[in-house]
Amino acid sequence: MTMITRFLTGPLRPGIEALRPVLYRIAYAWCHDPVLADDLVQETMTKAWVRRAQLRDQAALKAWMLSIMNHCWLDYLRSRREFDDVDDWEDRLESRSDSPEACCNRQEVIACVRAAVAKLPIGQRQVLTLVDLEEFSYAEVAGILDIPVGTVMSRLSRARESLKNMLDTAAKKHADQPVLRRVK
Amino acid sequence: MKTFVSDESLNAFIDGEYDVAESEALIARMRDDVELAQRVGTLRSLQSMVRLAYTEPPEARSWKSGVAPRKQFVQRCAVGCLILLAGLSGGWVLHSLESQRVAAAPTVMPASPVGANGGFEMVSLTRTADPSKVMLHIDSAAPGKMKTVLDQAERYLDQAEQQGRLIQLEVIANSHGLSLLREGVSPYSERIANMKKRHASLQFVACGQSVARFKGEGQHVVLVPAAQTAPTAISEIITRLQQGWTYVRV
Repeated sequence: MTMITRFLTGPLRPGIEALRPVLYRIAYAWCHDPVLADDLVQETMTKAWVRRAQLRDQAALKAWMLSIMNHCWLDYLRSRREFDDVDDWEDRLESRSDSPEACCNRQEVIACVRAAVAKLPIGQRQVLTLVDLEEFSYAEVAGILDIPVGTVMSRLSRARESLKNMLDTAAKKHADQPVLRRVK
Repeated sequence: MKTFVSDESLNAFIDGEYDVAESEALIARMRDDVELAQRVGTLRSLQSMVRLAYTEPPEARSWKSGVAPRKQFVQRCAVGCLILLAGLSGGWVLHSLESQRVAAAPTVMPASPVGANGGFEMVSLTRTADPSKVMLHIDSAAPGKMKTVLDQAERYLDQAEQQGRLIQLEVIANSHGLSLLREGVSPYSERIANMKKRHASLQFVACGQSVARFKGEGQHVVLVPAAQTAPTAISEIITRLQQGWTYVRV
């Protein structure tokens, strides 16, 4: 009966729909491109709906969908064919975005941190955003990205170290630059 | 002697990976170790900044006012094709029901106007065919079919006139059937002009796509004055079917 009800009413559908903002935030933090992020989310939701029968534990819906999105993201990166060896790209491929600029107010801090995160190698970026934005445990992140927990820890550590250095440099640059203000 | 606490351990601490005993031990140590406390503070600060940076990601669908991505376009095309297919299938399914109904009951539209094997196929998306809205479709340049479609049109029009009914009738020509409406090619251009004069509700519709295709092949295409052009014959047929018209393929 449960199976029939589940088939007829599709209880997963609202759950999948409700996760759209979460997926989009993570997708955007991975690619920093609103259009691409939205496409990734759409593809993830479509695949999740098609494969909904594979989900055994309803409580794991978010992690399961993020795992699907990770595969969509990897497929997208592979389709760009910008690297030959897929084994170590996660540790070396960096975004082409500019270095974080000097930041002082709220909007500048946001732009500055996003620029710094975008500079991180993709593997580090994924771990950092999953842990910081969605507060997943290391074990859950390992499951989502299909990597060992030790790799999660080392990537996270390197990500935060790099982030700290980039933001320190940006802050120093800001302090060294004379500030020009327009006075009316 | 103090042992060095690795960055990985501090990360695990701020991320809640430590159990209660481990956490308490580290907190106790931070009270005496200012540098350790500063490192933990820096990590927490970084974490807060990352959270702040993605609290409100920019709006998706920035292309809304512009052109949709290709993927979206393909999806829309697929949905459009499915709707078209469903419409055509529905028409063909109802066709059999309609034929039976028309054959069983007396009607103003003979089921087989030129005999039992006249080759006519009547389709309507509505269960009760509207005898006042009929389209005749021709896609062949065979002289016999051209004559038949005009004969059939005149029969419907005359019948309606005799019974004092209003009737809307469209002759739709595409593919090789376009010859019926081509000036200088159609053997019936004069008859078509006369029919159009006699019956204001009669329309001759040429498929724009077929016209373009013939022109693309280098042919000079001029339609008879009575003919109008629709973007495609299929779109015209589908639109009319949705409006309750009865479709007859000659």
